[in-house]
Amino acid sequence: MNQMNDDPRLDGIDLGRVWTGIASEVWRRHPGPVERLAIRLLRSPGLARALLNTPALLLPWLISTVVVLTVGGLMSLAGGEPLVWLIAPGIAAIGIAYAYGPGADPAWELAVSMPVSDRMVLLVRGVTVFAVNAAIGVAVSAVTYLATTHGLPGGGGHHTVAVSAAITFAWLIPMAAVCALTLAVAVLTRSASAGALAGVVAWGGTVLASRVSTGAFSAAVTDSRTYLPYLVVAACATALIGYTTRTQRRTQ
Amino acid sequence: MNIELTGVTRSFGSNKAVDGVSLEAGPGVLGLLGPNGAGKTSLLRMLATVLPPSSGQIRLLERDPGRTADRRDIRRRLGYLPQNLGYYPAFTVVEFIEYFALLKEVPSARVPRAVAAAVEGVDLGAKAKSRLRTLSGGMLRRVGIAQAIVNDPDLLLLDEPTAGLDPEQRVGFRALLRSLGETATVVVSTHLVEDVGAACSEVTLMDDGHIVFRGTPADLVTRGEGHAIGDAPLERGYSAVLQAARAAGQGAVAA
Amino acid sequence: MDDDELITRLAGGDDTALRELFTRHAPMLAARLRAVLPPSDVEDVLQETFLAAWRGAGSYRPEAKAGAWLWGIARRQAALVLRRRGPATAPLPDLLQAGAVALPGPGMHNDLAQSLATASQLASAVGTLSPADRQVWQLMYEEDRPIAEVAKLAGVPEGTVKSRAHRARRLLRAALGGGAG
Repeated sequence: MNQMNDDPRLDGIDLGRVWTGIASEVWRRHPGPVERLAIRLLRSPGLARALLNTPALLLPWLISTVVVLTVGGLMSLAGGEPLVWLIAPGIAAIGIAYAYGPGADPAWELAVSMPVSDRMVLLVRGVTVFAVNAAIGVAVSAVTYLATTHGLPGGGGHHTVAVSAAITFAWLIPMAAVCALTLAVAVLTRSASAGALAGVVAWGGTVLASRVSTGAFSAAVTDSRTYLPYLVVAACATALIGYTTRTQRRTQ
Repeated sequence: MNIELTGVTRSFGSNKAVDGVSLEAGPGVLGLLGPNGAGKTSLLRMLATVLPPSSGQIRLLERDPGRTADRRDIRRRLGYLPQNLGYYPAFTVVEFIEYFALLKEVPSARVPRAVAAAVEGVDLGAKAKSRLRTLSGGMLRRVGIAQAIVNDPDLLLLDEPTAGLDPEQRVGFRALLRSLGETATVVVSTHLVEDVGAACSEVTLMDDGHIVFRGTPADLVTRGEGHAIGDAPLERGYSAVLQAARAAGQGAVAA
Repeated sequence: MDDDELITRLAGGDDTALRELFTRHAPMLAARLRAVLPPSDVEDVLQETFLAAWRGAGSYRPEAKAGAWLWGIARRQAALVLRRRGPATAPLPDLLQAGAVALPGPGMHNDLAQSLATASQLASAVGTLSPADRQVWQLMYEEDRPIAEVAKLAGVPEGTVKSRAHRARRLLRAALGGGAG
C-alpha cells in the first residue's frame, strides 16, 4: 500500500492510512447479544470475549454435557441411584479444569502477560461453567423427577429419585449465593484469589455452622430456614457487583 | 529509561538461568544474542512480567512490576511474542489479533483500527479473514508479531520473531523494527546474527546467564577482527566474544 | 481479473477484492479529488467512497465502468463532506445529478470552485424561502434524505415534497442569477 503514495499529485494524502480506515470497518467484528450482555456485566470487553471462548461453554461441549447427563438421568430412572447428581459435578470439574491454564490454552504464555488477569478469567469461566452445568443437571433431574412421579417406566426408585430431586433443586440456592459472593468479592478487590477465598470460607463456614446447630452437614441444603438468608446474600452480592462495576473507572 | 534491571537473578532449582544481570535501555532496537541455554528466554520472560526474578530489581516503563496496579499498567503498554506461541486454529487472523487487543485493554473504540493497522503492518492484509489453521509457519509468526504490536507498545519483546520467515519477509520485518524502535524499546532475542546487524542499534550478548558484551553491532564486528571462526564479520565478533568470555571463566561486560 | 469480476466478488463479501479495487482505482480518484479538496478531506472521501462501494456493490451494473461508478460515488461523498461543513459550503444540488458534470477533471474543478463562491449567496437565498419550502430543502439537499423519509418527517404526501423541492430549486436559481439548469 505504501508504493501508491509516489504520485506527486497525491501530496499530503496517505493512501495506506485510507486503506487502514477502510479495512478497520470491513474487518470489524460486531459482538452478538450474548457477548454484549457479558461486556456490560463484566465491564471488560476482553474478559467477556475470554468467557465466550471457554472451551466448556462452546456449543459442542454443551451438547455433549446435555447428552451425558441425559444418559445419567435415564440410568437413574432404571436403577434408582441419583446418577445425575453424581455425574454433574464430575462434568463440571472437567469443564472447569479445561477452562484455562497451561494444559488447556495453547496461547497460555501470552495470556499470562495480559493486563486482564488470567486468574480473573479463570474465576469468571469457572463460575460460569459451574452454573451452566448445574443448570443442565437440574433440568435433567427435574425431567427425571417428573417422569417417575407421573408413573413412567422405571418407577422402582420413585422415592429415592424424589428425595434426590428435591436435594438437587435445593442445592441451587446456596450454590447461587456462593457464586454471587465470590464474584462480588473478586470484582470489588479486582483479585480472583480473594473472591475464591471468600466463597470457600463463606460456604465452609455455613456448612460447619449447620452441623453445629442441627447436627447434620446436609442441613445447609435441606433446612428451608436457610433459604431466605442465602437469597439475601445472593441479592446483596449482586447489588454490590452492580454498584462496584458502575463506579470502576478505566485507567486508560 | 524503559528497562532498568539491577543484579537480576533467576534460578530454577539449582540452575541459575539468569545470573546477576544489570541492564538499562531506552528507545531503540536492542538485539539479544546468545547460544541456547544462555538465559535469553528467561530474561525476556522477566521483562514480559510473566516470570518474577529470584532476586534483584526490575523497573519497566518507570514502574515496578512487583506491584499489581503497576503491573497492569506495564502490561497495557507491553507487546510480547513468546518463542513458542500457540494459536487457536479456528480463529481468523483478525479475530486472533482482536482477541489479544481486547485482553490488552485497548479501548474498544480504537480496536478495529488498531487491528487493521497491525495486520497491514505485517503484510497479512490479503489473509485477514483466513483461519489460522490454513496459514504457513511464517505467516503464523507474523500473526504473532501483529498481536504484539496491536496496542502500539512502548516496550516490545520478541523472542525469535523471524523463525520461519523467508528472506524477503525478514527484510520487511527489519524495516518494521526500525520504525518501531524510534519511539519504543524493542528487545529482539535471536540466534540469527544477521537479523541483529540490520535492525539493531545495540547488541547484548549473553552466555551462561551473564551479559558478556554490550555495544553497537560495529563494536561487535571490531571484536571479531582477526578471529578465525565465523563466515561474516558479526559472526566472527560473536564467537570471539564467547570464546573470550568462556576462557575468562566469568562473563565481563564489554563496552 | 477485470473490474467487473472484482465488483461481483465484492458483492459476495470478498474483502480481498475490495483491496484489489482500492489498489487499482484509489490513486486516480485521490488525484482528481485533490484538485478540489484539501488532503484530509480527500482521505475522508476516499474512505467513505470505498466503504459505500463495499456496501452497495450489489447495485453495480456491468454496463457502467468501474472507474466511472466509483467516481460517481466519490462525487456524492465529496458533496456530503462539503455539506457537513454547513450550508455555507453546500454545492448546488445540480452537481449531484449524474450527467450534470460530464467528465471529471478540470471541468469538475471549475464547477465546484464556482459553486463554493456562490455558496454564501446560496445560504442567504435559502433564508428567503417559505418555512415549508426551506424545510424540504434542508431535509432533501442538506441532509440528503430520500423523498419517502422527507414526506414522513414533514407529514405531507410525497407529491407535495416533490413540488416544494421543485419550487425551492426554481426560486434559488432565480435568486442566484440563473445558474445551470
